[in-house]
Amino acid sequence: MTATDGLALATRGLRKSYGSHAALAGLDLSVPTGKVYGFLGPNGAGKTTTMRLLTGLIRPDAGTMELLGKPFGRHDRHRLYDVGALIESPTFYPFLSGRQNLRELATSGAPVAKGRIEELLELTGLIDRARDPVSSYSLGMKQRLGIAGALLSDPSLLLLDEPANGLDPAGIVAMRETLRHLASIGKTVFVSSHLLGEMQQMADIVGIIAAGKLVREGPIDELLNSQSVVRVRVAPQDVARATAVLEKLVEHGGAPAADEAGWITVPTASDRSGEINQVLGTAGIWATGLESGTDLEQFFLELTGGEPVKGGEGTFFGLAGRPPQ
Amino acid sequence: MTIFFSGLRKLVRRRATWLTLGLLAGMLVLIIVAVGASSNRAGASDREREVALSLVTFPAAYDEVLAFILGLGGLFAVIYGAAIAGSEWTWGTLKNAVARGGSRSQYVLFTFASVALLIAIGLLITFAVGVLAGLLGASLAGASTAGLGDSATLGRLPGQMARGALAVIMEGAIGFTIATLARSQLAGIAAGIGLYFGESFAALFLPDVVKFLPFNVATASVSTGSGTGGGFSGAQVAALEPNTALLLVIAWLVGALAVAALFTERAEISS
Repeated sequence: MTATDGLALATRGLRKSYGSHAALAGLDLSVPTGKVYGFLGPNGAGKTTTMRLLTGLIRPDAGTMELLGKPFGRHDRHRLYDVGALIESPTFYPFLSGRQNLRELATSGAPVAKGRIEELLELTGLIDRARDPVSSYSLGMKQRLGIAGALLSDPSLLLLDEPANGLDPAGIVAMRETLRHLASIGKTVFVSSHLLGEMQQMADIVGIIAAGKLVREGPIDELLNSQSVVRVRVAPQDVARATAVLEKLVEHGGAPAADEAGWITVPTASDRSGEINQVLGTAGIWATGLESGTDLEQFFLELTGGEPVKGGEGTFFGLAGRPPQ
Repeated sequence: MTIFFSGLRKLVRRRATWLTLGLLAGMLVLIIVAVGASSNRAGASDREREVALSLVTFPAAYDEVLAFILGLGGLFAVIYGAAIAGSEWTWGTLKNAVARGGSRSQYVLFTFASVALLIAIGLLITFAVGVLAGLLGASLAGASTAGLGDSATLGRLPGQMARGALAVIMEGAIGFTIATLARSQLAGIAAGIGLYFGESFAALFLPDVVKFLPFNVATASVSTGSGTGGGFSGAQVAALEPNTALLLVIAWLVGALAVAALFTERAEISS
């Protein structure tokens, strides 16, 4: 037994720099077989660099990679025969149709089963537009064709970089169901995203990357439970007393925190809201509002540095709601 | 071989293929027909008439057509080769093949093999179109077509055509490699055109060096004996002996493809 047994994908100490910028600073990933692994991180965290390394497009400065239990290095391109990938935005010959693009893509790498292209065009909902040139496709259609391309050789491991980009809500649901189905039949899906909600619904395990390093990895349920909260609102004059009463109900570290509007956030299991209401009532404090959920977004921001990446999508947060710093 | 046939299918469906062929053949027809139609115009000297008629008088017209194809066709081959190689980087389609576990160098070499085959076929088609245009021009000029079946010329034509095809393919490889190094379709085309004209200009200053460069050895390797040509004419360079030039054509072809394959093999594909 080795440390990477049972893993479809593993990296150890993976490093990659572009000039003086370290895109990956010692990445250790462990992706179990047959799971959907959500690879989360803000823009510029190193997600796409990781994807490029895992598909041999670029080479690491240091560290090792294993794909499907075998080392993957400079001379191991055949390992990719059992890997399907969609890296960044999907790329095709614009003058060829969707079907022709898949047919030509199938001429490199692993062999493609007869009828597979039609099956995938059907699966991705492109069968009616399969004869049209890709230049006439919308972004969402290109994305779906990219996913079809990744599935071409029925791979055991699927690497998808932001696959929900450009998809409409129905497309996102269909993609999620497809990826869940693939995991249910033993395939491994490694999917990167910066959309927390999407990962929450799709992934079994998540790894969070920030500044080129993995800062958290684990089953999504554990992560969600560790971040679940109950929020209760009381009259302003009761806030201090209620905060003290609720301290004993805290489950995973920290303490109840009150805001100016009278809302008290209690870090505890989200199914304890009734109990909280009862404890407050027993103490003679009446809640005027009660809600529960998971503050994954806050947790994500804390793990990844707490601030939007300069120049990234998060830059717009400052414009929308907060005064410039 | 699947990559080779895939390359052929893609090229045949690509507008650039037909546009390049159409432009070259169209210009050839226009020039020859215009020359044929105007060769008897009033005021032309005997010398002018003689030069003009050589384009439409067989068997000399065979060499003239071939020289035109090697000249302008060489430039078109550079552009075409650059367009094909550059688009693989610009569109990101090389990335797809690599991410599926395909060999980078095989992909490059087989893709170029398909380009080379189409260049050779294009040369044959253009030559046939040029000969037909020559017949039309001869008819317009009232020139005899008795030399059409000249056995001595027809006997050496296949050899000349083969050398010409190799030379134009080599020029296509130069464009292909430049675009690969530039990782860009536009940059590749621009640099290819720059190199084509740059070589002619450089002949003004460095004739002893320039005669070994790709476009000069391409012309020298065929040695049609014609000075008309269709391409850009810079300073006159003392041409190499045809067989020596042919060896250099092969050397440039192999060298260019080796550079393209090696560069692609080692390149970081990050777009």
